[in-house]
Amino acid sequence: MVWWAVLTIGLTLLLACFMSGMPIFIAFLLINLVGVLVILGQPGFGMVANSIFETTNFADLSAIPLFIMMGELLFRSGSIDILFDSVDKLVGKVKGRQYVLCIALSTIFGALSGAAMGVAAMMARTLLPGMLDRGYDAKMSTGAILAGASLAPIIPPSVLVIIIGTLANVSIAGMLIAGILPGLMLATMFLIYTLGRVRLNPALAAEDASASTVDVSFGEKIRAVIRVAPFALIIFCVMGLILLGIATPSESAATGVVGAMITAAYYRKLNWRMISESLSSAAFIASMILVIMASSKMFSQLLAFTGSTRELTQVVAGLDLSAYLMLFIMMLIPFILCMFIDQIALMLVVIPIYQPLIKSLEFDPIWFWLLMLLNVTVGGMTPPFGYTIFAFKGATDRVTLQQVFSATWPFVAIFLVGMVVIAAFPPIATFLPAFL
Amino acid sequence: MLSPFLWVHDRLTDLGFQLGKLCLAIILVAYCYEVVARYLFNAPTWWADEAVSYSLCIGCFLMMPHVTREKGHVAVTFLLEMIPPHRAKPAHWAIYLVGFVVCAAAFWINLDENIRQVVNDVHMMKVKPFPKYYISVFITFGFGMSALHYLRMLDYRKIDVTGTSSGSYE
Repeated sequence: MVWWAVLTIGLTLLLACFMSGMPIFIAFLLINLVGVLVILGQPGFGMVANSIFETTNFADLSAIPLFIMMGELLFRSGSIDILFDSVDKLVGKVKGRQYVLCIALSTIFGALSGAAMGVAAMMARTLLPGMLDRGYDAKMSTGAILAGASLAPIIPPSVLVIIIGTLANVSIAGMLIAGILPGLMLATMFLIYTLGRVRLNPALAAEDASASTVDVSFGEKIRAVIRVAPFALIIFCVMGLILLGIATPSESAATGVVGAMITAAYYRKLNWRMISESLSSAAFIASMILVIMASSKMFSQLLAFTGSTRELTQVVAGLDLSAYLMLFIMMLIPFILCMFIDQIALMLVVIPIYQPLIKSLEFDPIWFWLLMLLNVTVGGMTPPFGYTIFAFKGATDRVTLQQVFSATWPFVAIFLVGMVVIAAFPPIATFLPAFL
Repeated sequence: MLSPFLWVHDRLTDLGFQLGKLCLAIILVAYCYEVVARYLFNAPTWWADEAVSYSLCIGCFLMMPHVTREKGHVAVTFLLEMIPPHRAKPAHWAIYLVGFVVCAAAFWINLDENIRQVVNDVHMMKVKPFPKYYISVFITFGFGMSALHYLRMLDYRKIDVTGTSSGSYE
């Protein structure tokens, strides 16, 4: 069978299986087993078993459960409430201060948690009611929370970075550090957008329009800074140890967990039950992700075996399109697919196909995969299928799903503008990793 | 008649869940020990990386039956959720059937590989070589137990289409 037929049939069947509602790991396994039987015959089944074994026997992937556990410990211990309270005191008298609070908190949570869902759910439970009670616009508040939560996979630690780095064979430490500046840049863009909208339409932040904002003394602000100081330990344990070259990303994930435990203990919120629950949750989620990764590995091997990826690379190289046009096409496909398909499943399909392409196009791998990270992160908040949206909606019933859907688009647009800026100025992504 | 078998199946799933947590704890301790030993005492371990990779694989597949039982595997369910409940039930049943067949096939393939590893005395090429099936047998366990959970879900009367069949992670 010709390579393009293999590629088309394989991808179509896989997408059809995804859309049928069957678990993603089942979809990958089904297609892989049928593919192996058709292409290699029964003796090829040993390769399936080995691909599963090799994928899960990879120490670098241990950062996934560890990063999840770090966030779980902080959320379950209630230490986050102290951070919440302190940042609330630090945000001064500005019009639309709840939006500022939301984005500031999201950025800090991004540096403490590796997953957007936990942040979105937590903010929906804690921050959103206060915003709505103060007369803040429901759509704008929802959008700000979802966009802010989406910074978590970009600012290290990040579960998605571990997956992309492992699959694309790119420096995980480099990828993690590369997310810092783009994350901060996006947070700034969200701030400019929200404050600009409030300035144009003060009704979006009704409470501030009636001039009843919090008044906090300088002394209280200093005390607030001191109270949140222990959180710096966690950030140091993850980002600091990687930047100093003391620990690998997986080791820094482990030290980050210890940092989270010490922080929780400092606030007298650490107990065995909470540790056990965090372990359960992290092991559960990690198993879910790793089983998908293990089941999918054979798909890329089959594509390589049939020569599909090699032929596709040659065809694309022969198209003689400009690098920026190729970049646009390569980003557009996942952007559209991420509206309907799970982010990790999409990456597992796309990365093996894109990997030889970015080599032939001579793209900087960290820059390209960081753009891909932003792309799939946006996928979490683009309707109709987005885990960040589902996590948010599952935690609140004060906004309708229609409101949530329409709330996300302006922030999706900001994300896209951010991607264009990073595409045009690669040092935003590559500057910090150069120091490693 | 089946209840003792189902009881054993559930208890094994529970045991896998608890041991899966233990594996994650081992990963945490091993890496912290390695960082301290390497940077404070200049005495890197030979075993930390290996303990982590084995614990990751073992923990993942020990936990898998529990994830399957809790219907925690990620799925794109928005089309499934659009169809009316009386039609959704057969659709869910069909998915569980596919789940059973695929997991059973994966169980058989991995079992076959385990047997080959035992017969050929295949060892892991690590600092301390040991039989590969010591680790790979847990993959077989994960798929086998999950296949049985999917088989149990095929009881048409017990299919609940109001709950979600998808998990979440990001």
